Amino acid sequence: VARKKRAQAHATGAPVTTVVVMCLYVAGRAPNSVKAIANLEAICRRHLKDGYKLEIVDVCEHPHRALNDGILVTPSLTKVSPGPASNVIGNLSDTGSVLAALGLHAGDPQ
Amino acid sequence: VSPDPVGATTGPADVQAEAAFKHWIRRLVKGAAELQAFESGQIDAVMDPATGSAILLPEAQAALQGSTRLVMSALDALPGDVCVIDAAGTVVMTNRAWRAFVAAYTGAGLGIGEGANFLAACRGVSASESVFAEAVAAGLRQVLAGARQRFCCEYVCDSSGGHCAFTFTIAGIAGNGAVHAVVTRENVSGRQRAGAPGGLRHPKASRIAAIAQAAAPNLLLAALPAKEYERLLAGFEQVKLTYGDVLYESGEQMRHVYFPSDCVVSFLTVVEGHRALEVGLVGREGMVGSRLALGITTASVRALVQGTGTAVRIKSVCFLRELHRSPMLQRALLHFTDALMMQVTRTAACNRFHGVEARLARWLLMTRERLPSSEFYLTQEFLADMLGVRRAGVTMAACALQRQNLIRYRRGTITILDQQGLEAAACSCYQHVKVKGLEAAT
Repeated sequence: VARKKRAQAHATGAPVTTVVVMCLYVAGRAPNSVKAIANLEAICRRHLKDGYKLEIVDVCEHPHRALNDGILVTPSLTKVSPGPASNVIGNLSDTGSVLAALGLHAGDPQ
Repeated sequence: VSPDPVGATTGPADVQAEAAFKHWIRRLVKGAAELQAFESGQIDAVMDPATGSAILLPEAQAALQGSTRLVMSALDALPGDVCVIDAAGTVVMTNRAWRAFVAAYTGAGLGIGEGANFLAACRGVSASESVFAEAVAAGLRQVLAGARQRFCCEYVCDSSGGHCAFTFTIAGIAGNGAVHAVVTRENVSGRQRAGAPGGLRHPKASRIAAIAQAAAPNLLLAALPAKEYERLLAGFEQVKLTYGDVLYESGEQMRHVYFPSDCVVSFLTVVEGHRALEVGLVGREGMVGSRLALGITTASVRALVQGTGTAVRIKSVCFLRELHRSPMLQRALLHFTDALMMQVTRTAACNRFHGVEARLARWLLMTRERLPSSEFYLTQEFLADMLGVRRAGVTMAACALQRQNLIRYRRGTITILDQQGLEAAACSCYQHVKVKGLEAAT
């Protein structure tokens, strides 16, 4: 029974104390990149409060960093941890797909 | 300045049309999600593994070019002189005011154009500016190395347009993979410092404004950063120094230090059995009591006022406190002490080797450059002390200069009639002890 409960807790998403580590790849101040930053920050404020770490990588300044991380297009958001790793592409205006990729649900602000 | 965002390429040259360009980029886009985002116009750049760079889509390129133009226009609209320096110290961007300054004062005040190296320019300045240029270069290196975010210092120089004082502010910015720096230069030569309108709001404002005005001509104070100057200003009091006043006797405690504005103070040394002899002269280029900076609180020489005028003074204790917390004040003082040492050593040799007439001419020129007028009051007795000769010797020398129409000497009032002629009559020592920046304003 105990094993089953743990498995259920795992399935409903990350525990409250887990910090979501993300990396957002952008192209300078290009329009979709600016939108992606604003959209992601709004999502984080609403759903993650302080429980996240976000790194923003400008591919114009650090192209090799993006290539090494397997990034093909920007803007591109990668969830680094908790696993499994996931990826969302575009200006992140579709909140639902961003939340899904981050392992969160639209209805549960932390 | 290239309008293209650095680090991004725009594809092969033969791909001109936007559609063709997009088609070309499309080949690089792999994966369904990537393709979908690309088709819906949500992509700014595509990575090209072949060149190891990011290829910007036309819309992103246009927006970034637009924002670069916006940045350039914003820089141009700023009233101060601004330039951007890359990690190697090369000037990569300048605003309109900076370019106008470079055109007007070629080379002065580190005014260099795009493509030139700022650190190299700091090494290439004249000896009188080197102390400031070294400070600016050291600050810039620290900012570029990321050791500090912001650096601010004063810079004093002489240009074809006269004596100039600037404030340099250097701030680090994230650049193309490495820290860049934004340098702002503000010309503060004409600044009425704390006396400027709106500069002060407390009840003592008018008193401090009056002191600031009295202190303004002093070059040593003018070289200090505004913050350090204003701290000193709080301890200053304005004094009128009259011809014949003795500020210190040799061996006496120095209770105050003095910063002359338009008066002249002589340093005299007394050797037993002889008349006092002048060994140094200071006016608005420096201060009286600089020995404090060496950790000694007693005077080594007699300080005698020989040109009536205004000065500001501060209690020695307050001055020492400021000295300990201000590296720029220490620097300015070392610079001045070195110049004074030069003057003293040269005077010692001059007194031994040069004739009274040439020495008198040198001395009159040195006094003239520190006073606001070319007419000043001096008795023969006094002149004899200054030059270490008998009164008769002074009379003969003064008469000789008068005969050549270089000066007029009536009842103790000396008027310099021919500055250039007097320079020719003076010994070569005058050119060695001449203080840069003094002659410009008088």
